Amino acid sequence: MELTDRELVQRCQAGEMSAFQELVSRYHQKVYMVIFGLLRNREDALDVAQETFFRAHRKIGGFQGGSSFYTWIYRIAVNLSIDAQRRQKRNPLDFRESMDDLLESQGEAARDPFADLHDKELREKLTSAINDLTPEHKAVIVLRTIEGLSYKDIGEILGCSEGTVMSRLHYARKKLQDKLSAFL
Amino acid sequence: MNGCEDKVASIERWLDGELSGAESESLRVHMVACAGCSEARRRLEKLQSTLTDVLLSEAQPVDFMPFWRAVQLRINEKRPWYQDALDWMRGVLPASRLAWVVPAVIALLLAGVSLESYWRGGRNAFATVESIDAYGRNVALLREYDTKTTVIWLYQDQEGENEAAEETAPSGPAF
Repeated sequence: MELTDRELVQRCQAGEMSAFQELVSRYHQKVYMVIFGLLRNREDALDVAQETFFRAHRKIGGFQGGSSFYTWIYRIAVNLSIDAQRRQKRNPLDFRESMDDLLESQGEAARDPFADLHDKELREKLTSAINDLTPEHKAVIVLRTIEGLSYKDIGEILGCSEGTVMSRLHYARKKLQDKLSAFL
Repeated sequence: MNGCEDKVASIERWLDGELSGAESESLRVHMVACAGCSEARRRLEKLQSTLTDVLLSEAQPVDFMPFWRAVQLRINEKRPWYQDALDWMRGVLPASRLAWVVPAVIALLLAGVSLESYWRGGRNAFATVESIDAYGRNVALLREYDTKTTVIWLYQDQEGENEAAEETAPSGPAF
Protein backbone atom coordinates (compact mmCIF):
# COMPACT_ATOMS: atom_id res chain seq x y z
CA MET A 1 0.00 0.00 0.00
CA GLU A 2 1.30 3.42 -0.95
CA LEU A 3 2.19 5.64 1.98
CA THR A 4 0.64 9.10 2.27
CA ASP A 5 2.77 12.26 2.22
CA ARG A 6 2.19 12.69 5.96
CA GLU A 7 3.44 9.18 6.70
CA LEU A 8 6.50 9.73 4.53
CA VAL A 9 7.21 13.01 6.31
CA GLN A 10 7.01 11.23 9.69
CA ARG A 11 9.49 8.63 8.44
CA CYS A 12 11.80 11.39 7.19
CA GLN A 13 11.64 12.99 10.62
CA ALA A 14 12.72 9.65 12.07
CA GLY A 15 15.78 9.79 9.77
CA GLU A 16 14.64 7.44 7.00
CA MET A 17 16.35 8.65 3.82
CA SER A 18 14.36 6.36 1.51
CA ALA A 19 11.16 8.11 2.65
CA PHE A 20 12.63 11.45 1.60
CA GLN A 21 13.68 9.93 -1.73
CA GLU A 22 10.07 8.85 -2.27
CA LEU A 23 8.84 12.40 -1.57
CA VAL A 24 11.39 13.80 -4.04
CA SER A 25 10.30 11.29 -6.66
CA ARG A 26 6.66 12.30 -6.16
CA TYR A 27 7.21 16.05 -6.42
CA HIS A 28 10.42 16.74 -8.35
CA GLN A 29 8.69 17.13 -11.71
CA LYS A 30 5.91 19.38 -10.39
CA VAL A 31 8.31 21.51 -8.40
CA TYR A 32 10.60 21.82 -11.43
CA MET A 33 7.66 22.85 -13.66
CA VAL A 34 6.64 25.63 -11.29
CA ILE A 35 10.21 26.88 -10.96
CA PHE A 36 10.77 26.68 -14.71
CA GLY A 37 7.56 28.67 -15.23
CA LEU A 38 9.00 31.39 -13.02
CA LEU A 39 12.62 31.40 -14.22
CA ARG A 40 12.19 30.36 -17.88
CA ASN A 41 15.62 28.74 -17.94
CA ARG A 42 16.24 25.00 -17.60
CA GLU A 43 19.64 25.10 -15.90
CA ASP A 44 18.55 27.71 -13.35
CA ALA A 45 15.28 25.84 -12.75
CA LEU A 46 17.09 22.55 -12.10
CA ASP A 47 19.51 24.24 -9.71
CA VAL A 48 16.69 25.91 -7.75
CA ALA A 49 14.65 22.67 -7.71
CA GLN A 50 17.61 20.75 -6.22
CA GLU A 51 18.16 23.53 -3.68
CA THR A 52 14.43 23.37 -2.81
CA PHE A 53 14.67 19.70 -1.83
CA PHE A 54 17.95 20.25 -0.01
CA ARG A 55 16.30 23.00 2.10
CA ALA A 56 13.25 20.81 2.62
CA HIS A 57 15.47 17.98 3.90
CA ARG A 58 17.21 20.35 6.29
CA LYS A 59 13.96 21.80 7.65
CA ILE A 60 11.75 18.72 7.62
CA GLY A 61 12.40 18.07 11.31
CA GLY A 62 10.51 21.29 12.11
CA PHE A 63 7.64 20.60 9.71
CA GLN A 64 4.56 20.46 11.92
CA GLY A 65 2.05 19.31 9.32
CA GLY A 66 -0.11 22.41 9.71
CA SER A 67 -0.25 22.60 5.92
CA SER A 68 0.09 19.84 3.36
CA PHE A 69 3.56 18.76 2.25
CA TYR A 70 3.00 20.03 -1.29
CA THR A 71 2.03 23.57 -0.22
CA TRP A 72 5.09 23.58 2.08
CA ILE A 73 7.49 22.42 -0.65
CA TYR A 74 5.97 24.85 -3.17
CA ARG A 75 6.43 27.67 -0.65
CA ILE A 76 10.14 26.90 -0.42
CA ALA A 77 10.37 26.58 -4.23
CA VAL A 78 8.52 29.84 -4.94
CA ASN A 79 10.54 31.81 -2.36
CA LEU A 80 13.83 30.52 -3.80
CA SER A 81 12.59 31.22 -7.34
CA ILE A 82 11.59 34.78 -6.48
CA ASP A 83 15.07 35.36 -5.00
CA ALA A 84 16.68 33.83 -8.10
CA GLN A 85 14.42 35.88 -10.36
CA ARG A 86 15.51 39.10 -8.68
CA ARG A 87 19.12 38.11 -9.27
CA GLN A 88 18.21 37.16 -12.86
CA LYS A 89 16.66 40.62 -13.40
CA ARG A 90 19.98 42.15 -12.51
CA ASN A 91 21.71 39.83 -14.97
CA PRO A 92 19.11 39.11 -17.67
CA LEU A 93 19.32 36.35 -20.26
CA ASP A 94 18.23 36.72 -23.84
CA PHE A 95 14.92 34.91 -23.57
CA ARG A 96 14.09 35.25 -27.24
CA GLU A 97 17.26 33.43 -28.12
CA SER A 98 16.52 30.60 -25.70
CA MET A 99 12.98 30.36 -27.09
CA ASP A 100 14.32 30.01 -30.65
CA ASP A 101 16.65 27.23 -29.51
CA LEU A 102 13.77 25.49 -27.82
CA LEU A 103 11.45 25.69 -30.82
CA GLU A 104 14.21 24.39 -33.06
CA SER A 105 14.89 21.50 -30.70
CA GLN A 106 11.18 20.59 -30.77
CA GLY A 107 11.20 20.43 -34.57
CA GLU A 108 8.86 23.40 -35.02
CA ALA A 109 10.63 24.43 -38.24
CA ALA A 110 9.21 21.45 -40.12
CA ARG A 111 5.58 22.63 -39.87
CA ASP A 112 3.41 25.02 -41.93
CA PRO A 113 5.47 28.24 -42.14
CA PHE A 114 2.48 30.63 -41.78
CA ALA A 115 1.06 28.84 -38.77
CA ASP A 116 4.58 28.63 -37.37
CA LEU A 117 5.15 32.34 -37.78
CA HIS A 118 1.94 33.24 -35.95
CA ASP A 119 2.51 30.62 -33.26
CA LYS A 120 6.13 31.61 -32.77
CA GLU A 121 5.26 35.29 -32.58
CA LEU A 122 2.49 34.63 -30.08
CA ARG A 123 4.81 32.48 -27.95
CA GLU A 124 7.53 35.10 -28.07
CA LYS A 125 5.10 37.86 -27.12
CA LEU A 126 3.69 35.76 -24.31
CA THR A 127 7.13 34.81 -23.01
CA SER A 128 8.17 38.45 -23.05
CA ALA A 129 4.89 39.53 -21.39
CA ILE A 130 5.25 36.90 -18.65
CA ASN A 131 8.82 37.98 -18.09
CA ASP A 132 7.71 41.59 -17.63
CA LEU A 133 5.43 40.65 -14.71
CA THR A 134 6.72 41.15 -11.17
CA PRO A 135 7.86 37.94 -9.41
CA GLU A 136 4.72 37.97 -7.23
CA HIS A 137 2.36 38.33 -10.21
CA LYS A 138 4.24 35.70 -12.18
CA ALA A 139 4.00 33.33 -9.21
CA VAL A 140 0.18 33.45 -9.07
CA ILE A 141 -0.11 32.93 -12.84
CA VAL A 142 2.28 29.97 -12.80
CA LEU A 143 0.75 28.27 -9.75
CA ARG A 144 -2.75 28.70 -11.15
CA THR A 145 -1.90 27.71 -14.74
CA ILE A 146 0.54 24.85 -14.22
CA GLU A 147 -0.78 23.33 -11.01
CA GLY A 148 -4.39 24.53 -11.18
CA LEU A 149 -4.22 25.34 -7.47
CA SER A 150 -7.11 27.01 -5.66
CA TYR A 151 -6.83 30.62 -4.45
CA LYS A 152 -6.65 29.25 -0.89
CA ASP A 153 -3.65 27.01 -1.65
CA ILE A 154 -1.91 29.76 -3.62
CA GLY A 155 -2.47 32.13 -0.69
CA GLU A 156 -0.95 29.56 1.69
CA ILE A 157 2.09 29.12 -0.54
CA LEU A 158 2.66 32.84 -1.04
CA GLY A 159 1.71 33.83 2.51
CA CYS A 160 -1.12 36.17 1.47
CA SER A 161 -4.92 36.25 1.57
CA GLU A 162 -7.26 34.77 -1.05
CA GLY A 163 -8.34 38.33 -1.91
CA THR A 164 -4.74 39.25 -2.66
CA VAL A 165 -4.36 36.17 -4.86
CA MET A 166 -7.51 37.14 -6.74
CA SER A 167 -6.42 40.72 -7.30
CA ARG A 168 -2.89 39.67 -8.35
CA LEU A 169 -4.34 37.19 -10.85
CA HIS A 170 -6.70 39.83 -12.22
CA TYR A 171 -3.89 42.37 -12.60
CA ALA A 172 -1.49 39.86 -14.19
CA ARG A 173 -4.10 38.64 -16.69
CA LYS A 174 -5.01 42.18 -17.62
CA LYS A 175 -1.33 42.96 -18.26
CA LEU A 176 -0.96 39.85 -20.41
CA GLN A 177 -4.17 40.59 -22.34
CA ASP A 178 -3.06 44.16 -23.02
CA LYS A 179 0.25 42.95 -24.45
CA LEU A 180 -1.36 40.17 -26.51
CA SER A 181 -4.43 42.11 -27.66
CA ALA A 182 -3.57 41.58 -31.34
CA PHE A 183 -3.54 37.80 -30.89
CA LEU A 184 -6.52 37.14 -28.62
CA MET B 1 -19.79 45.65 -22.11
CA ASN B 2 -21.13 48.89 -20.71
CA GLY B 3 -21.69 48.64 -16.96
CA CYS B 4 -20.17 45.14 -16.85
CA GLU B 5 -16.56 46.05 -16.04
CA ASP B 6 -16.87 44.53 -12.57
CA LYS B 7 -18.06 41.26 -14.14
CA VAL B 8 -14.59 40.49 -15.58
CA ALA B 9 -13.26 39.57 -12.14
CA SER B 10 -16.28 37.28 -11.64
CA ILE B 11 -15.68 35.65 -15.04
CA GLU B 12 -12.08 34.96 -14.00
CA ARG B 13 -13.21 33.44 -10.69
CA TRP B 14 -15.77 31.37 -12.57
CA LEU B 15 -13.13 30.05 -15.01
CA ASP B 16 -10.88 29.29 -11.99
CA GLY B 17 -13.70 27.32 -10.32
CA GLU B 18 -13.92 29.74 -7.42
CA LEU B 19 -17.61 30.73 -7.70
CA SER B 20 -20.41 28.98 -5.83
CA GLY B 21 -23.12 27.12 -7.76
CA ALA B 22 -25.64 29.96 -7.48
CA GLU B 23 -23.10 32.60 -8.49
CA SER B 24 -21.97 30.50 -11.44
CA GLU B 25 -25.53 30.04 -12.66
CA SER B 26 -26.28 33.75 -12.38
CA LEU B 27 -23.11 34.65 -14.30
CA ARG B 28 -23.79 32.03 -16.96
CA VAL B 29 -27.28 33.47 -17.58
CA HIS B 30 -25.79 36.96 -17.78
CA MET B 31 -23.13 35.91 -20.31
CA VAL B 32 -25.74 34.41 -22.62
CA ALA B 33 -27.46 37.79 -22.82
CA CYS B 34 -24.36 40.05 -22.76
CA ALA B 35 -22.16 40.06 -25.88
CA GLY B 36 -19.42 42.05 -24.10
CA CYS B 37 -19.10 39.58 -21.23
CA SER B 38 -19.27 36.67 -23.63
CA GLU B 39 -16.36 38.21 -25.58
CA ALA B 40 -14.43 38.83 -22.31
CA ARG B 41 -14.90 35.15 -21.45
CA ARG B 42 -13.66 34.06 -24.90
CA ARG B 43 -10.54 36.24 -24.57
CA LEU B 44 -9.80 34.92 -21.08
CA GLU B 45 -10.23 31.32 -22.20
CA LYS B 46 -7.90 31.91 -25.16
CA LEU B 47 -5.30 33.54 -22.87
CA GLN B 48 -5.55 30.65 -20.43
CA SER B 49 -5.18 27.96 -23.08
CA THR B 50 -2.19 29.77 -24.65
CA LEU B 51 -0.57 30.19 -21.25
CA THR B 52 -1.07 26.52 -20.43
CA ASP B 53 0.29 25.50 -23.81
CA VAL B 54 3.40 27.69 -23.53
CA LEU B 55 4.18 27.00 -19.87
CA LEU B 56 3.65 23.24 -20.07
CA SER B 57 5.19 22.57 -23.47
CA GLU B 58 8.45 24.31 -22.64
CA ALA B 59 9.12 22.44 -19.41
CA GLN B 60 10.81 19.23 -20.45
CA PRO B 61 10.71 16.13 -18.22
CA VAL B 62 13.39 15.73 -15.55
CA ASP B 63 15.08 12.35 -15.12
CA PHE B 64 14.69 11.33 -11.52
CA MET B 65 17.97 9.53 -10.77
CA PRO B 66 20.40 12.28 -11.84
CA PHE B 67 18.17 14.78 -10.04
CA TRP B 68 18.12 12.71 -6.85
CA ARG B 69 21.90 12.23 -6.94
CA ALA B 70 22.38 16.00 -7.22
CA VAL B 71 20.06 16.54 -4.21
CA GLN B 72 21.94 13.87 -2.22
CA LEU B 73 25.22 15.56 -3.06
CA ARG B 74 23.93 18.83 -1.60
CA ILE B 75 22.64 17.06 1.50
CA ASN B 76 25.99 15.35 2.14
CA GLU B 77 28.08 18.39 1.25
CA LYS B 78 29.51 20.42 4.14
CA ARG B 79 28.61 24.04 3.44
CA PRO B 80 30.71 26.92 4.74
CA TRP B 81 29.26 28.63 7.84
CA TYR B 82 28.71 31.94 6.03
CA GLN B 83 26.47 30.20 3.47
CA ASP B 84 24.20 29.04 6.29
CA ALA B 85 24.30 32.53 7.83
CA LEU B 86 23.33 34.10 4.47
CA ASP B 87 20.49 31.60 4.03
CA TRP B 88 19.26 32.41 7.51
CA MET B 89 19.46 36.15 6.81
CA ARG B 90 17.50 35.75 3.59
CA GLY B 91 14.82 33.82 5.44
CA VAL B 92 14.54 36.33 8.26
CA LEU B 93 15.01 39.45 6.16
CA PRO B 94 13.29 39.21 2.80
CA ALA B 95 13.85 42.13 0.38
CA SER B 96 10.59 43.83 1.39
CA ARG B 97 11.79 44.08 5.01
CA LEU B 98 15.26 45.33 4.06
CA ALA B 99 13.76 48.68 3.03
CA TRP B 100 12.86 49.21 6.70
CA VAL B 101 15.88 47.53 8.21
CA VAL B 102 18.53 49.70 6.51
CA PRO B 103 17.26 53.09 7.81
CA ALA B 104 16.53 51.49 11.20
CA VAL B 105 20.14 50.27 11.48
CA ILE B 106 21.46 53.73 10.49
CA ALA B 107 19.21 55.37 13.10
CA LEU B 108 20.41 52.90 15.75
CA LEU B 109 24.06 53.54 14.87
CA LEU B 110 23.55 57.31 15.11
CA ALA B 111 21.76 56.89 18.42
CA GLY B 112 24.64 54.71 19.65
CA VAL B 113 27.25 57.30 18.66
CA SER B 114 25.26 60.11 20.30
CA LEU B 115 24.84 58.11 23.52
CA GLU B 116 28.51 57.24 23.57
CA SER B 117 29.57 60.89 23.32
CA TYR B 118 27.02 61.76 26.06
CA TRP B 119 28.33 59.09 28.46
CA ARG B 120 31.91 60.10 27.83
CA GLY B 121 31.01 63.27 29.76
CA GLY B 122 31.35 66.01 27.25
CA ARG B 123 31.39 67.00 23.65
CA ASN B 124 34.26 66.04 21.44
CA ALA B 125 33.23 68.39 18.68
CA PHE B 126 31.79 71.84 18.34
CA ALA B 127 30.11 73.61 15.44
CA THR B 128 28.46 77.00 15.11
CA VAL B 129 27.36 79.39 12.38
CA GLU B 130 27.11 83.13 13.02
CA SER B 131 26.02 86.01 10.80
CA ILE B 132 28.64 88.73 10.79
CA ASP B 133 26.97 91.59 8.94
CA ALA B 134 23.75 92.76 7.33
CA TYR B 135 24.78 91.58 3.87
CA GLY B 136 24.37 87.88 4.46
CA ARG B 137 27.98 87.16 5.28
CA ASN B 138 28.50 84.36 7.77
CA VAL B 139 31.20 82.53 9.58
CA ALA B 140 31.02 78.83 10.38
CA LEU B 141 33.31 77.34 12.97
CA LEU B 142 33.89 73.62 13.39
CA ARG B 143 36.14 72.31 16.15
CA GLU B 144 37.08 68.65 16.67
CA TYR B 145 38.75 68.31 20.07
CA ASP B 146 40.19 64.80 19.74
CA THR B 147 42.27 65.63 16.68
CA LYS B 148 42.62 69.33 17.62
CA THR B 149 41.28 70.34 14.21
CA THR B 150 39.59 73.68 13.66
CA VAL B 151 37.87 74.71 10.42
CA ILE B 152 36.76 78.30 9.88
CA TRP B 153 34.54 78.83 6.87
CA LEU B 154 33.51 82.25 5.64
CA TYR B 155 30.72 82.50 3.10
CA GLN B 156 27.92 84.71 1.83
CA ASP B 157 24.25 83.79 1.48
CA GLN B 158 22.83 83.92 -2.04
CA GLU B 159 19.71 85.54 -0.59
CA GLY B 160 21.76 88.11 1.34
CA GLU B 161 23.64 88.88 -1.84
CA ASN B 162 20.38 89.67 -3.66
CA GLU B 163 19.17 91.84 -0.83
CA ALA B 164 22.50 93.61 -0.80
CA ALA B 165 22.19 94.24 -4.56
CA GLU B 166 18.67 95.61 -4.19
CA GLU B 167 19.81 97.97 -1.48
CA THR B 168 22.82 98.93 -3.61
CA ALA B 169 25.02 98.52 -0.60
CA PRO B 170 28.67 99.25 -1.00
CA SER B 171 30.77 96.17 -1.50
CA GLY B 172 32.26 94.91 1.72
CA PRO B 173 35.59 93.39 2.37
CA ALA B 174 36.32 90.30 0.30
CA PHE B 175 36.86 87.09 2.18
